[in-house]
Amino acid sequence: MSETIQKMTNEERVALVQKQHRRITYRNTILSISGILLFFIIWEALAIFEIVDPKKISDVLQIFKLFILKFTDPNPDGAVLLVHIWSSLEVALLGFLLAVVIGVPLGWLMGWYRGFDSFVRPLFEIIRPIPPVSWIPLTIVWMGIGLQAKAFIVFFAAFVPCLINSYTGIRQTKEVLKNVGKTFGASNFTIFRKVGIPSSLTMSFAGIKVAIGNAWATLVAAEMLAASSGLGYMILMGRSYGRVDLVILGIVVIGALGVLITALINRLEKVVLGWKEL
Amino acid sequence: MIKKDKTVNMSAAEIHEYRMNMLYKVLPIFSVLLLIALWLLASSGVSDFPSPAEVWERTVRLFTNPIKKLNLFSHVLVSLKRIGIALAFDWTFGIAFGVLIGWSPRAKAFFGPLFNAFRAVPPLAWIPLITLWFGIGEFPKILIVIFGSLASIVVNVQAGLSTVEKMYLDVGTVFNASPAQRLFKIAIPASLDAIFAGVRTSTSAAWMVVLAAEMLGANAGVGFLISRGMDSIDMPLVLTGMIAIGIVGAILAIITQFAERLICPWTRKRK
Amino acid sequence: MDEKKKVILKLTHICQSYVIKDTVKDAVENVSFDVYDNEFLVLLGPGHCGKTVIMNMIAGLEKPVGGKIHLNGEEIKGSDSRIGMVFQSLNLMPWRTVMGNVEFGLEVAGISKEERHATAQKYIDLVGLTGFEKSYPHELSGGMKQRVGIARAYTNNPEILMMDEPFGQLDAQTRYAMEEEVLRIWEKEKRTIIFVTNNIEEAVFLADRIILLSNCPANVKEVYDLSDLPRPRNTTSPEFLRIRAEISDNTDLAL
Repeated sequence: MSETIQKMTNEERVALVQKQHRRITYRNTILSISGILLFFIIWEALAIFEIVDPKKISDVLQIFKLFILKFTDPNPDGAVLLVHIWSSLEVALLGFLLAVVIGVPLGWLMGWYRGFDSFVRPLFEIIRPIPPVSWIPLTIVWMGIGLQAKAFIVFFAAFVPCLINSYTGIRQTKEVLKNVGKTFGASNFTIFRKVGIPSSLTMSFAGIKVAIGNAWATLVAAEMLAASSGLGYMILMGRSYGRVDLVILGIVVIGALGVLITALINRLEKVVLGWKEL
Repeated sequence: MIKKDKTVNMSAAEIHEYRMNMLYKVLPIFSVLLLIALWLLASSGVSDFPSPAEVWERTVRLFTNPIKKLNLFSHVLVSLKRIGIALAFDWTFGIAFGVLIGWSPRAKAFFGPLFNAFRAVPPLAWIPLITLWFGIGEFPKILIVIFGSLASIVVNVQAGLSTVEKMYLDVGTVFNASPAQRLFKIAIPASLDAIFAGVRTSTSAAWMVVLAAEMLGANAGVGFLISRGMDSIDMPLVLTGMIAIGIVGAILAIITQFAERLICPWTRKRK
Repeated sequence: MDEKKKVILKLTHICQSYVIKDTVKDAVENVSFDVYDNEFLVLLGPGHCGKTVIMNMIAGLEKPVGGKIHLNGEEIKGSDSRIGMVFQSLNLMPWRTVMGNVEFGLEVAGISKEERHATAQKYIDLVGLTGFEKSYPHELSGGMKQRVGIARAYTNNPEILMMDEPFGQLDAQTRYAMEEEVLRIWEKEKRTIIFVTNNIEEAVFLADRIILLSNCPANVKEVYDLSDLPRPRNTTSPEFLRIRAEISDNTDLAL
């Protein structure tokens, strides 16, 4: 084997390695596709052969048909698909953006200035263990059922990871880098701005990613408990009317949107953090 | 007796630091007081917002007048029991599955896309489907908790196993270890810190999901207490529930952190 | 006059290169040398020039692209228990105690618990770590950790012990101490040692022979025979300094 390799030219060796890589990618793609295919086949079989009670499952085609239908048909939940989607997105984005805008800078300040930390920390530690979902009843009493209430709950869910991660991120700023700033006579605030914040960006972004996941998940809960539109509400209605296809459609749409948003944020991260070898 | 001034022998810079340290010690107390003041203010203003006194009184009443024959501790225990069963399943199945897709690229290719698709769906979105299938008993609730917390442990275990230091595995190769030995004697122990991170996150995730599941249909449990409070406009009950949830959640976090430090004394930060 | 010494390891025309994206990077180019039984051989060369790659190939962690390696006459295929390795750093398993780490090789080979313990204990004593059997790596100093690595490599009773810049991460004082330690251990339990370093003084202090490697891609520049230099080596004697200067002049600077 080593003799044959030795006799190859450089171009031939490169070609050989690339061929090996392609083979592995090919194998993996086949495996992935077969996994997905197997899943759908089992699903279809369960539905078509009525192995599972047809009231409890719909076959894939039905879901797809409903998907198309839902763009124009407001039954039975009272609104068209896009209205639900927009309603959910609206709340999610509002709560999420508020959380980022407040939570991330607050985390930076807390991580850098002891005064901030001493003051805010106890409040934060008291609020933190209480899961966002359990705020829902209180929020309903306070603000009723509506955009504000939902956004507040979503804000809550997204706020915690934003804060924690930006706090940890800025606390991990390398002492060396801070000292470089000091030797150039920079003020504490300047070092905070030009050294601390940039070096915390990776962790802060990780926090934002967790936050959007939390926000999306909490939104669904909020919509189920206190809403009249939105994807969570749609699923709930599907359940009430015994429409399994509506329920499954809702789940699929929620999941797909979640993936889309995360992909967008990953893109944004690559742009902002391009200088890092990720 | 004249009290000795501690600052007499300090330089200007030291005095400044001394005073700042004093300030830092005082601030937390100040902020907690502020919070309590806000609470009192809120309860006197908004009609339904309960005062601290009312909440305390309600908590005590929960013990003398139990709801559905259970006092506060029992409700907490019901919720804990549910997550206990769910986590037991999570950890056995989740760790095994995580090891599988973390160690074998083939398994990762086969199961990966499906797993990620399921992971993208928020746990609570499954509730209507699961209740449609299995009704409102104990089993569907536990299933919901499993759906909500399994992903955390699988993801962490997988990350741990796919980033084992190559040098540890090289040691195995040099000593002629078989692939199975490399997996069980090197890769898995090396990933213990990631596995524990998974244990921690899945525990907190389970706690959150069980509450939501209980709020949407249960006869016992802390989440049930809160939704009962909401339904009967019994605000002190709601707050009692929330505080109990917070305390138990915090205790769980402390226990899992403690367990990690006990079992993995060598934990190093993983990049 | 040297009597004919037995050749235990023979490298013939060894080449290694890697394909990175769409170019081929040569790491080792046509390296050939012999290793004699029970000698202390040092591979010396500038940093990142392929020394570790040669070590990896002998240990079986990589396959050479060209050339052959013979151990006692037969060709090596993959890792061989007759060749032990002491790694540079970070290779002790942090979840095992000192005893657990040292007996790892025996455990993998399926040796019974009592036998493992006895053998491991013997080598823990040899490297001077008696009493630390139950300590964890994170409790040990750098020098102690390397000693654990040496003990572990000895347990398989290898014919050849390879050491890949084992003292590179230690501070100067600990390094001097460990160099003397290694020689003491070697005298006590004689094996063939192949030692890799980029430190000329260390090489002249330790070696029977030095193989000087060039910069990337590595090939053999020169072989120095130091068997005339008496042991223990005196680092300030004129002969020591002369050889050191000669090697220093001949060494390529690292890129």
